[in-house]
Amino acid sequence: MSHMSNPLATPDQLFQRRSIDALPIELQDAIFFATQCLTQAAGILLQLPQSVTAQANVLLARYWLVEPMMSHEFSDVSAATIYLTAKLSAHPRSPRDLANVYAYLLSRSTAFFHNPKNPPPPPPNDPSSYYLSEAAYHAFRNRVLALEARVLCALAFDTHVALPHPLAVTYLQALEFLGVPKDRIAKKAVAYLNAALLSPQMLYLTSQPNALAVAAVYNAARDIGAKMPECEWWEVFDVEREELGFLVVGMRSVDGWGRKMRADLKGMMRGAERGMVTRRDVEDELRRRGVEVVVVRAASGNEVDAEEEAARRMDEKMASLEAGG
Amino acid sequence: MSIPESKEPGSAPSPRSFAIAHQRPRNSFVGCSRITDYEVLGKLGEGTFGEVHRAKSKKTGALVALKKIIMHNEKDGFPITALREIKLLKLLSHKNVLSLEDMAVEHPARSSDKRKKPIMYMVTPYMDHDLSGLLDNPSVHFTEPQIKCYMLQLLEGLKYLHENRILHRDMKAANLLINNKGILQIADFGLARHYEGEVPKPGRGGGEGRRDYTSLVVTRWYRPPELLMHLKRYTTAIDMWGVGCVFGEMLVGKPILAGESDGHQLEIIFELCGTPTDENMPGWRSLPGAEALQPRPRIGNLSQRFRDYGPGAVSLLKELLKLDWRSRINAIDALKHPYFSTAPLPARPHELPSFEESHELDRRKFHDRRAALPPAPKGGTVGRGPHDGPNASFSGDGFANRNGVNGGRYPRNSRGPEDRVPAWHRDRGLPPRPPPPADGDHPDGYRDGRGGGRPRGGGGGGGRQDVDTYIPSYDRDGPRRDDRRPPPPRRDDRDVRRHDWGDRRRDYDDRSRNSRTRSRSRSPIRDWDRDRERDRDRDRDRDRDRDRDRDRDTYRR
Repeated sequence: MSHMSNPLATPDQLFQRRSIDALPIELQDAIFFATQCLTQAAGILLQLPQSVTAQANVLLARYWLVEPMMSHEFSDVSAATIYLTAKLSAHPRSPRDLANVYAYLLSRSTAFFHNPKNPPPPPPNDPSSYYLSEAAYHAFRNRVLALEARVLCALAFDTHVALPHPLAVTYLQALEFLGVPKDRIAKKAVAYLNAALLSPQMLYLTSQPNALAVAAVYNAARDIGAKMPECEWWEVFDVEREELGFLVVGMRSVDGWGRKMRADLKGMMRGAERGMVTRRDVEDELRRRGVEVVVVRAASGNEVDAEEEAARRMDEKMASLEAGG
Repeated sequence: MSIPESKEPGSAPSPRSFAIAHQRPRNSFVGCSRITDYEVLGKLGEGTFGEVHRAKSKKTGALVALKKIIMHNEKDGFPITALREIKLLKLLSHKNVLSLEDMAVEHPARSSDKRKKPIMYMVTPYMDHDLSGLLDNPSVHFTEPQIKCYMLQLLEGLKYLHENRILHRDMKAANLLINNKGILQIADFGLARHYEGEVPKPGRGGGEGRRDYTSLVVTRWYRPPELLMHLKRYTTAIDMWGVGCVFGEMLVGKPILAGESDGHQLEIIFELCGTPTDENMPGWRSLPGAEALQPRPRIGNLSQRFRDYGPGAVSLLKELLKLDWRSRINAIDALKHPYFSTAPLPARPHELPSFEESHELDRRKFHDRRAALPPAPKGGTVGRGPHDGPNASFSGDGFANRNGVNGGRYPRNSRGPEDRVPAWHRDRGLPPRPPPPADGDHPDGYRDGRGGGRPRGGGGGGGRQDVDTYIPSYDRDGPRRDDRRPPPPRRDDRDVRRHDWGDRRRDYDDRSRNSRTRSRSRSPIRDWDRDRERDRDRDRDRDRDRDRDRDRDTYRR
């Protein structure tokens, strides 16, 4: 039984994501990062255990390896994956809860995506900004359920995700916590594992959980200054030096990269009073860069705001006219 | 839009080169197959749960079964039962556990039609028979080496499941598939779930349960006494009881504990295994379902009932059908039971006779079998209880069929002109037509088949002289009632219990073979008349026991 291992991305898939998907890499990475953060925030508000939310992160990464990012609204993909993993877990959440949480996270009042180190004045809590009309709820639910099926199809229904977190703790126990306080090093290791979920290198799709766990332990030990065994201890846990090296660097880079990404995203949203980047932001950004926007969207048919949709189409048309003239 | 920089091969990111160096089998992210990757060879069956088709893979040429996942209630998205089953099957790999080879998607013909959603199919290897169907085939007689061979495979599969902390929770003959190479596989994981207790240890039976689960699992005839008494903290031993029932069924040729209601099920269990005492079932009194029980003390007639099959069989059966779930034998120990090492020794799978491919045959008897099945577990399945999360509304929908992946695939009543006729049936002429129905007030009487259930294999001790009992009946109510034999006298306690079944008159007697029942049909209209004609012709002296989906339906809906 393959409880402990994950299906991994093939090189072709990793390559294709970089080449065929119509977005510049840095935009892909920004969207990936923002959406994974959104999933985490939703997981907290839905009071889901991190084990469930982390699985949603992994499923979302797998899904975007197979389907183009721009085919659905990012927040909907986030909602669909977290709904799916929660449903499969011992903590199912209703579409209604999901809709409320995402309505809040995407509203003006949200605290999502404000830099915790340098918080702006807290947004005024304006309940009307995240009021969810019945029509909006139904539209949201329909979109999410349709996406759930798409995600399942794209992943060949392989919803199993083996997380490295329990393994990291087990390895730490085996290493007797390297002589440092248990909770300190364990917390640090788990923090590395959680941060790795946001990495654009998609570490969870290229490495098995045992390798991720060992890398997290290694990084945590280094940060804390714990003394690791002299020998090549990672081999005990079936990890090769090369893979470990790659993962250690990959995990360490997430923090700084993420900070930069937050700033970039804010720029991309042009001061919009929202927490989450949308497809429209991305299209605008592309236009600013002078890239011709060919909007390829799955027929959603359930737009909440038909007026907004019409306005968007007109904008696009204007833009294309301007570009042509 | 394009990304100039990534067009150059040199810009391949380091993960790529890394991944190339560590290439692993492409076992994921492949997405689903299209239905067009399979050449559909025809419907194997349809029932309450949906359809199963036989198909041939265009890639590999392998024969497969395609099981359609029906979305009856899409309020909460993809059915959780289907998701669970798929997830489990994908994690499992054992020669005695049915494998899920693929998922296939069928897009609606017109993509513009948004109402229509894609249809999903589960793709499993094609298995020629299921045990229940095979046992119903009067031309098939299991030899002792054969039974031992199947039992060993069943126990191996179950040992694997339990080792991997999986409760099957729907062990029954209909969920055991058998192919013509003599391989038995456990199927239908629609009710299975992760088990959080200790895995069984040699010599320690099922051990103690660690946490509560829903007791609304396992088809009634295979449901162990502790579940009937609503033990929630159950263990892998519940599956072992089912193995005992299946073992007995293989010996006798029909289900050995075909209870009418949950109360009656307990009653006949006590008859077979003796009434519970503090010795043979410690703690039984404190089970919630035992409060009202006042069983008349009996010692159980198991040894006597099965003495013809030898002391080895009786001994194993006794171990499997132990009332005490803690000491009930586990799969590890059962595999070492002397029964399997005494002559006649178990056959090897490849030595077993192969039976004629048998859908048509199967579906005949399946009709019986399906209709005759006792209710599926009440709650439908896990996560379906009224207060059980967002999935509560997936009341027993099509997916969670209780009949195995291939099971229940046999159309209820249709037999097109081009259809095969089972070999052992071909040379039979049509029996004489019955007199017309006495009361014609049920123009669609064949749909009205919610009549009370009766045990399948009604013929107690039954030989198989009554060859055609598998022929479905679509007769109307009237004549059946008319020529129904008066029910034999029975004990009072049973009569009281039978009120569970509502006020419908039913003939309930294990030994009565010729009483009339009705069945429900969901087959296409075009087949009805033809089949009704023929079937009415036939069923006069042979229908029985196929009404059991009435009470199943009450659970399903």
